[in-house]
Amino acid sequence: MIRRTALIEVGVLALLAWLVLYPVGIVAAQAADPAALVAFVGRPAEWRALWASVWISVASVGLAAAIGVPLAFLFEWLEFPGRRVLGVLVALPVVLPPLVGVLAFLFLYGESGFVARGLEAVLGLKRAPWQLRGPLAILLVHAYSMYAYFYMLVRAGLARLDVSLLEAAQALGVGWWGTLRRVTLPLLRPALVGAALLTFLTALGSFSAPYVFGGGFRVMPTQIVASKLNGDLSLAMVETMALTLVAVAGLVILGRAERDTTLVTPGKGTGPRRRALHSRGARIAAAVAGWLGGLVLLLPHLTLVLVSLVPYATWTTEAVPPVLSLANYARLVREPDRLWPLLNSAWMATAATAGAMALAVVAGWLVVRQRVRTRRLVEGLVLLPWALPGTVFAVALATAFAVSRPLALRWVLVGTVAILPLAYLVRALPLTGRAVLAGYRQLDPALEDAAASLGAERWATLWRVTVPLLEPALAAGATLAFVTALGDFVTSIVLYTYDTRPISIEILSSLRLNEIGIAAAFGVVVMLASGLVLALGTRR
Amino acid sequence: MAYLDLENLRKHFGATRAADGISIAIGRGEVLALLGPSGSGKTTLLRLLAGFETPDAGRIVVDGDDVTRVAPARRRFGMVFQHYALFPHLDVRGNVAFGLPRGPAVGDQVAKVLARVDLAGFEHRRVHELSGGQQQRVALARALAPEPRVLLLDEPLSNLDPALRERTRHELRHLIARVGITTVFVTHEQEEAFDLGQRVAVLHEGRLEQVGTPDELYEHPRTLFVATFVGRANVLRDRAAQAFGGQGVIVIRPERLAFADAGVAGVVRERRYTGAAAFFIVDTDGAGSVEVQAEPRAAAVGDRVYLQATTLLAFPETPALASVVS
Repeated sequence: MIRRTALIEVGVLALLAWLVLYPVGIVAAQAADPAALVAFVGRPAEWRALWASVWISVASVGLAAAIGVPLAFLFEWLEFPGRRVLGVLVALPVVLPPLVGVLAFLFLYGESGFVARGLEAVLGLKRAPWQLRGPLAILLVHAYSMYAYFYMLVRAGLARLDVSLLEAAQALGVGWWGTLRRVTLPLLRPALVGAALLTFLTALGSFSAPYVFGGGFRVMPTQIVASKLNGDLSLAMVETMALTLVAVAGLVILGRAERDTTLVTPGKGTGPRRRALHSRGARIAAAVAGWLGGLVLLLPHLTLVLVSLVPYATWTTEAVPPVLSLANYARLVREPDRLWPLLNSAWMATAATAGAMALAVVAGWLVVRQRVRTRRLVEGLVLLPWALPGTVFAVALATAFAVSRPLALRWVLVGTVAILPLAYLVRALPLTGRAVLAGYRQLDPALEDAAASLGAERWATLWRVTVPLLEPALAAGATLAFVTALGDFVTSIVLYTYDTRPISIEILSSLRLNEIGIAAAFGVVVMLASGLVLALGTRR
Repeated sequence: MAYLDLENLRKHFGATRAADGISIAIGRGEVLALLGPSGSGKTTLLRLLAGFETPDAGRIVVDGDDVTRVAPARRRFGMVFQHYALFPHLDVRGNVAFGLPRGPAVGDQVAKVLARVDLAGFEHRRVHELSGGQQQRVALARALAPEPRVLLLDEPLSNLDPALRERTRHELRHLIARVGITTVFVTHEQEEAFDLGQRVAVLHEGRLEQVGTPDELYEHPRTLFVATFVGRANVLRDRAAQAFGGQGVIVIRPERLAFADAGVAGVVRERRYTGAAAFFIVDTDGAGSVEVQAEPRAAAVGDRVYLQATTLLAFPETPALASVVS
């Protein structure tokens, strides 16, 4: 039995190292090319892009916090009509693929979006009053899609907050502002730091928004893809490593702040009670703020649905589209060129999810149940892709598996159907890994022992006790993995071939052909599929 | 004149009457226990005093100052929470100094109040490094540091293990006496209420059943509820009551029943030995089962015995005023 465990341990480690570590190692080795290094250091454009990545990410954290934190307080602490439903809807952007969010934003706030057209019509303007371009546009999209991290984590933190701590502060003569500053916010620090880290890394790796809205303004991920598509491979390697270093720096700085925050409340506290607002005015104000905020945040998605109903070439200068029909959806099904990307994305996301789940379950078993000596390494490898921007892995996989050197464990996978599911799998690994590890850790080993003492064999225990108890964790992990793979853009654009092109690539080409209705319809399909999978995966 | 006056306090949560017209006058330096089963409204009453809830009607007056609608932060009442509510992100000093105005004197003040609760030198300990008893004393020190007018304690001993409870209770009583602060505390345990409280207010379904010294409550309960909730009690009605020489509803404490040569006849069904004494369950002929507290060897299971009552507490059919029949 012990030997079998050891065998599995070695196998999993080897597989993880080959998938996660090896490609990045190859990139690092190739980045050590003096000529490319000199080229990188000598070009102001590179430094500009690196600096842009850093400041855009930091500003995104600030903006996302400014939206998400007040929303969390509003929805967690105050009671008003519609709070429950709206509270769930407001968290939606977090599961939407970035490209779909960008698309929705474009149709709403872009120069030919609803808001601009509306203003043109009302004010009698000849041209759009603004252009959705450059760093400001990127920041807007980031703030809009990433506030949900702050919203969800801070809300969860507030829900766990022991209300008697706040009452204790008041009983000691400290008013609400002092309580907020001296008790509430310090206790929320783990949630705030966690959300900041998540936002920073997401913003740093963000590709869709800079790609669509950036124009001449480059950040590191778009710079890398540009170098790669221009064929300047060694420069792309150096850029990739530079971006990796920034991500690691962010991880270390924020990770340190996160570590010394073991803020466990000593006693078990009373559950917080939501404040029913006594004054009528305050209740109405809270309801209006909640609904208005929710509406503004959900408007882009409603816009996407509306645009998906606009048939090709029926909407030119009108403020509101004159014709609405389901023609675009019919075309998605009837035209093979449209249907293929849907099917491609579906099977590739499924395969990647299954693989990532299998690997996560075995890794979880090794780390938590068997407590193998290399458990920290296994866990680290599983979680590593989370810290590195998607572009880094895309470039790393594209480099590692573009040559045939079987002795070095490198085969030509680029251009085959295997590369995209493999890339999705690596990207999904931390999502499934986190969920499964957390699930295993909450599972009382005594339950498995009890099953064994009742005569259940190993497999029977697994199927009748372990898997049913892990089910919520497994479902949550699989759901996130599937949704992420389904909406992936950044790895796809580096690794796709015409035959394996996924939905996101098709959305992009539809946009280029001015088929905005089709692009929106694809976006709605991804949005609905993600929502559906998520609803199924997270129900109890 | 009362120092802390609760006047006709009323608080409803939907259909639940958590406080239904409660009036208690508490003297300066007095220690009052709020005793009742869960759901009796004792915690609500404490929260009304602290200001975390606002009464629907009634007034709270302290030292001639109406604080009914004063925010908790400006009420100057100290509170010790059931689970202490120590701030986990601050050390002991940070917790104790929390309610003190910042200034150069804070360090001395913290040291003084920590010494008072026997925790001198604990300033820089983290909260989660402390034992349950130490946490309780830090919570007490924190509440006392700003020199509040009234000290409120929510189930002060419930979070401690039984071995520690009696010693802590003893220390707590001495500390309160030394500080001389007017104190109101909530408990659901009679022993705690009797030991710490100079007077005890018994609450039941949001109503005040009786306020009095422990002796008064035990010897002269005004309602059937007080008689049964405070101390052990045999409740006997009608024919059973008549058998012991009472009428209507009567209550007999187990220790006020004795084995005798004549009286109500019965058979010992069960004997529960507690060391100093034993409890006997006696199935009487026609008066139901009663519990008798007696010397451990007074009887054995299966014995045929006769019972005499020394004190009856009689209640009219509607449980209001009771008179004592000796």
